[in-house]
Amino acid sequence: MTANAPLLELRNVVPSFEETGLMPAPYNLRIMPGECAVVDCRDFERAAMFADLCSGMVSLTQGTIRFMGLDWAALRDRQLNALRGRIGRISRSSSWLNLFGTHLNIMLPHLYHTTDPFDNVVLRATELGNRFGFPGLPTSAPDRLSGADLARAACVRAFMGRPDLLVLEDISDTLPEENILPFFEMMTTARDRGCGVLWFVRSAAAWHEYRKAVNIHMRLLDEGLFPMRVV
Amino acid sequence: MTDTPTPAPEHVAPQADPMAGPQPDNGGRLVHLVRRFAPWLAALGRLTRHQVRFALLVIGAGWGAIRESMRPNSWRRPVIYEFRATLRQVVSGGFLSIVITATLTGLMVVSQAAYWLGYAGMAQMTGSILVSVLVREISPILVGIIIMGRSGMLSLTEIGMMVLGGEVRALQARGIDPFLALVMPRTFAFTLGGFTLGMIFAVVSLLMGFVVAHSTGAITSSVWTFFFNVLGAMTTWDYLIIPLKFVLVGFFVGLGACVSGLTVSSNDTMATIMPRGFARGIMLVLVVNILFMLDF
Repeated sequence: MTANAPLLELRNVVPSFEETGLMPAPYNLRIMPGECAVVDCRDFERAAMFADLCSGMVSLTQGTIRFMGLDWAALRDRQLNALRGRIGRISRSSSWLNLFGTHLNIMLPHLYHTTDPFDNVVLRATELGNRFGFPGLPTSAPDRLSGADLARAACVRAFMGRPDLLVLEDISDTLPEENILPFFEMMTTARDRGCGVLWFVRSAAAWHEYRKAVNIHMRLLDEGLFPMRVV
Repeated sequence: MTDTPTPAPEHVAPQADPMAGPQPDNGGRLVHLVRRFAPWLAALGRLTRHQVRFALLVIGAGWGAIRESMRPNSWRRPVIYEFRATLRQVVSGGFLSIVITATLTGLMVVSQAAYWLGYAGMAQMTGSILVSVLVREISPILVGIIIMGRSGMLSLTEIGMMVLGGEVRALQARGIDPFLALVMPRTFAFTLGGFTLGMIFAVVSLLMGFVVAHSTGAITSSVWTFFFNVLGAMTTWDYLIIPLKFVLVGFFVGLGACVSGLTVSSNDTMATIMPRGFARGIMLVLVVNILFMLDF
C-alpha cells in the first residue's frame, strides 16, 4: 500500500442484485487511513450486506473495490482471507459460534491470522474486556450471554489485533451507556495509528457525540449510497 | 419459388388423406404421454444430477482436504482446537456404542463360527473365517454406521445450522476459511477416530466372542492361542487393508457429513438435512467397503 493511497475505495461498484438485494446502482466511497465514514442506514440487513460488499464477499457486475491498494476481485482465497483478517468487524447478528465459549469466539480471528503467543492474546483480550466492563473474558457460550454482554464482546473482538479497517454495524441499542465512551476512545486510538472506520448507524443519536471527529457522512438508501454534509 | 399455384385453403381440406386423420391423435397421445411422464423424468434427472454432484463434491473436497493438510500453514491454532474437540467427540461419543455393538457382534459371529466350524470338523478354519468375515467385512461397516450416527450427523447438523444461521458467512467475513476451520480438521478427526474405534471394535468383538465360545465349550484353547490363530490367518494384505478400511470409512463419513452440511441451501430444514445426510453417509460407508471387496 502506497502512502496517501485510499485505505478502502469503491469505484463505480455495481453489486450483483440477485446475490445482495442491493440496488444495482454505482456505489462510490473512499476512506483514507485514519478517516471515519458514517453510513446512515435504517435497514440492518442492507447495512450488513454493504459491509460484506466492502469486505469483498459479494460478486460485482461492474467496478472495483480496493482495500489497502488491493483489488478484492484479483485475489485468491488465501490472500482474500489474510486481507479480511486485517478488518475488525462488529456484526449485528449471526456472528457468534455456539460451538465455542465466548472467549474463544473473541480470540478466534486473532488466533487464526497470527502466530502471537496464546498468553499474549489472552492478555490483550482481557485488557480490552476490562475496558468494556468485563471483569475477565466470558467463557460461557455466546447464546447464554445477554445482549449487552454480547455487544461488549463484539467490541472487544473488533478492536483485537490492531486492525487496519473497522467495519462497525450499529449496536448502539444493545451497547450499555457506560461503554459508549470506551468505544469512542478505542475508535480514536485505532484511527490515530491509521485505521479507517466504516461505521453504520441507524440514527443520528448513535454518533451524535462523535460527529466532530467524523470525516465522511453518507446515507445508504434503496436507491444507492448518497453523500451527506457532515454537520 | 415455383410457378405452381398454391391451392386455395378450402380446396386443401377435402384432399386430406383419410390416413392422415389419426396422425394428430397419435401426436396428441404422444404429447399427453410425455406430459404425464415428464415430471417423473425430470425428478429422475434431478436426482441423478444431484447424486453426481455430491460424488464430485466429495472427491474434490477429499483431495482439497488432503492437499491442505500437507501445508503446515493450514494447521493454525483454531484448526488444531477443532481437530482435538472433534476427535474427542468422535472417540468418546462412539466408544460405548462401539463396545456394546462389538460385544453383540462377537457373541453372534465368533461363537456361531466356532460352534459350526467345530461341528463340521473345520475348527482350524476359525481364525481365517473370523478375519475375513468379522474383522475385514463386518467391522468397517458397523464402525462406519456408528461413527456416522453418533458424530457424523452431529457435524452435519452443526455445520448445516451454521450455514443457515449465517455463522459460516460471518467466519468468512473475518477471513476464516470454513473449509480449513471446519471441514479439514473434522475430516481428519473422523479419520483418526475411525481407525481407533475400528481397532477397539475388532479386539472387543473377538475377545467377547472368545469368552462366550470358551464358556460354552465351543473353543477349548486359551485366549492367546485363539488370538494367535486369528493373527496367523491374516495375510500381509489384511494388515494393510483392515486399518485402511477403518481409516477410509472415517475419512469419508466425516467428509460427507461436513460437505453435506456446508452445501445446504436456504430452503433446507432439519427435516431435509438429516435424512439426506444419513442416506449419503450410508452410501459412502458401503461404497468404501464394496470398492475394497472388488479389488481384493
